[in-house]
Amino acid sequence: MLEIQGLTKKYGKFLALDNLNLHIEKGEIFGFVGPNGAGKTTTMRITCGLLKATSGTVYVDGVNALTNPDDIKRKVGYVPDFFGVYDNLKVMEYMEFYGSMYGMDKADVDEIADGLLELVNLSDKKDVFVDTLSRGMKQRLCVARALIHNPDLLVLDEPNSGLDPRARFEMKEVLKNLGAMGKTIIISSHILPELAEMCTSIGIMERGHLIASGKVDEIMQKTKGSQPIHLRAVLSSDEEEETQKESLTRLLKEQPNVEKVTQTEDELLISFNGNDEDAAILLKSLVDANIRISNFYREKEDLESLFLEITGGGKA
Amino acid sequence: MKKKLRMNPIMKKEMMVGSRSIKMSFAIMGINGFLALIVLLVMGSNSVMGGMTGYDYSSLSFLFPVLGCVECGLLSLIIPIITSGSISGERERQTLDIMLTTPVSPFSIALGKLGSAMMVVMMYMVTSIPVMAIAFVLGGMSWWALLGLFAMLLYLGIYVGSVGVFCSSVVKKSVMATILTIVIGIGIIIATFVILYILIAMKAYEASVTKATTVAVGATPMIMLLNPYSPFVDFLIRSMTSHSLYDVIADMGTVSPVYEVIYRGWIPVSVVLNLLISLGFLKLAAMNIAVTRNKKRK
Repeated sequence: MLEIQGLTKKYGKFLALDNLNLHIEKGEIFGFVGPNGAGKTTTMRITCGLLKATSGTVYVDGVNALTNPDDIKRKVGYVPDFFGVYDNLKVMEYMEFYGSMYGMDKADVDEIADGLLELVNLSDKKDVFVDTLSRGMKQRLCVARALIHNPDLLVLDEPNSGLDPRARFEMKEVLKNLGAMGKTIIISSHILPELAEMCTSIGIMERGHLIASGKVDEIMQKTKGSQPIHLRAVLSSDEEEETQKESLTRLLKEQPNVEKVTQTEDELLISFNGNDEDAAILLKSLVDANIRISNFYREKEDLESLFLEITGGGKA
Repeated sequence: MKKKLRMNPIMKKEMMVGSRSIKMSFAIMGINGFLALIVLLVMGSNSVMGGMTGYDYSSLSFLFPVLGCVECGLLSLIIPIITSGSISGERERQTLDIMLTTPVSPFSIALGKLGSAMMVVMMYMVTSIPVMAIAFVLGGMSWWALLGLFAMLLYLGIYVGSVGVFCSSVVKKSVMATILTIVIGIGIIIATFVILYILIAMKAYEASVTKATTVAVGATPMIMLLNPYSPFVDFLIRSMTSHSLYDVIADMGTVSPVYEVIYRGWIPVSVVLNLLISLGFLKLAAMNIAVTRNKKRK
């Protein structure tokens, strides 16, 4: 659906994007993660035809976005991070206005707008003035507006910024529904756990470079040693506790994929770079060695810690 | 397949939003109130004078050009206010980006903004008909003169509106755009007069050196074709008298046949020329809107 190759954007001397390559499949919900100034918004704005690239190519469903900006506008729907309000315009009129911008007939717009407003839970607000809506409602209306021409690709630039938890939840549900409908979505957000929950794949950007991209689980697998194993064993009363712990630590260090074993107050923390199957083999070998294990679990890494690890602590 | 004729969506939206605004109602009331006040003052002063010398209805024929000039002056101030927020307002609301992601071209956006301003101008003109009708009843004008005045106001509206849309695309703040529009408008008027004065002075100097008894007017007055208000002046002269701007020019010296054609057709020539300049301003505005795409967002 989206194929970006060698995309570079310079603002004067500032290099905002440096030879960016990205591939997004049809039906994917792709999350853009990165600190401020990483190049997420620039990439999105180029994709929407709002910015001209310095070099590179952007193809949306086979159409070159850089040489055919008018064609791209019919294929892409854009939701900015801020919802601009027109005074004295009602919700349905707002939809009709944008429908007419795409050359659609009023009857068609009304029919499509009905469905879209239902999708974003604003069916009962059709005759309400837009400027009286809450921020969350406005942002959902903006999503409905971006879908009025049935675009192949929906681009959302931090749609949840400034929304309260309830509004964020409602927005997440809308996007999940769109994902289930097979829409290809690119979304950037600072709320990383929500991205992890929604997105089928992510791209982590820093200083104009895409430093990691792919399925969330795949990226997590690539970051070795980031999911330590917590182990607690029932020690025998015959021997001294410290001696038993030391022998257990020695045994663990002999096992494959174990990088480091740290003793905490009541458990052992194992830096482990294997996959789930390797972890199962480790557990079996400990059981075979007559270690009485009372607790064995592997930490589930979240997107936030993954992001911090990859970007070296950069703020999203 | 037949292509449906569609109204510019931006113009349609602006008209809908504008018609709901209380500001427009107050502006219409203000303009018509001011025009009515002028009529009252003119008729009142005539009545006082009439008490001494007998009521002179013929002097009321000046009501028409006075009202025309007042209306022209008011619109010259109001249109910059309406149009100056057209693009800068979209930027301030952050709705311009969304507009630019639709297939509507930057030129159509500029045209739509101008079109909606023209609709407002037309509304002002239509609502001023009852006041203008007083001059009509008293014999100061004909239907053609009234239509001509409206055509002139519409043309001036397009010119000033185009400058307003252009300024709005250049300046970020609407207030600054209003000031810039008025400055450019006044600047063009003053510049044409200054250049005309210099050219006439050069001609006079040339005549004094050569001791010529007759002076050829030549192309000197043509600079005034660029003054957007010059067709309006010619229109008023033609409406009120049996003369035209050509007679004023002809009094300055001899006019060659080629120039005579241009000077006699001052109104259409100047109007077409200034409408082309308006188109240029709109094109520049469209370019500025499109350039927004290349700027890094703050």
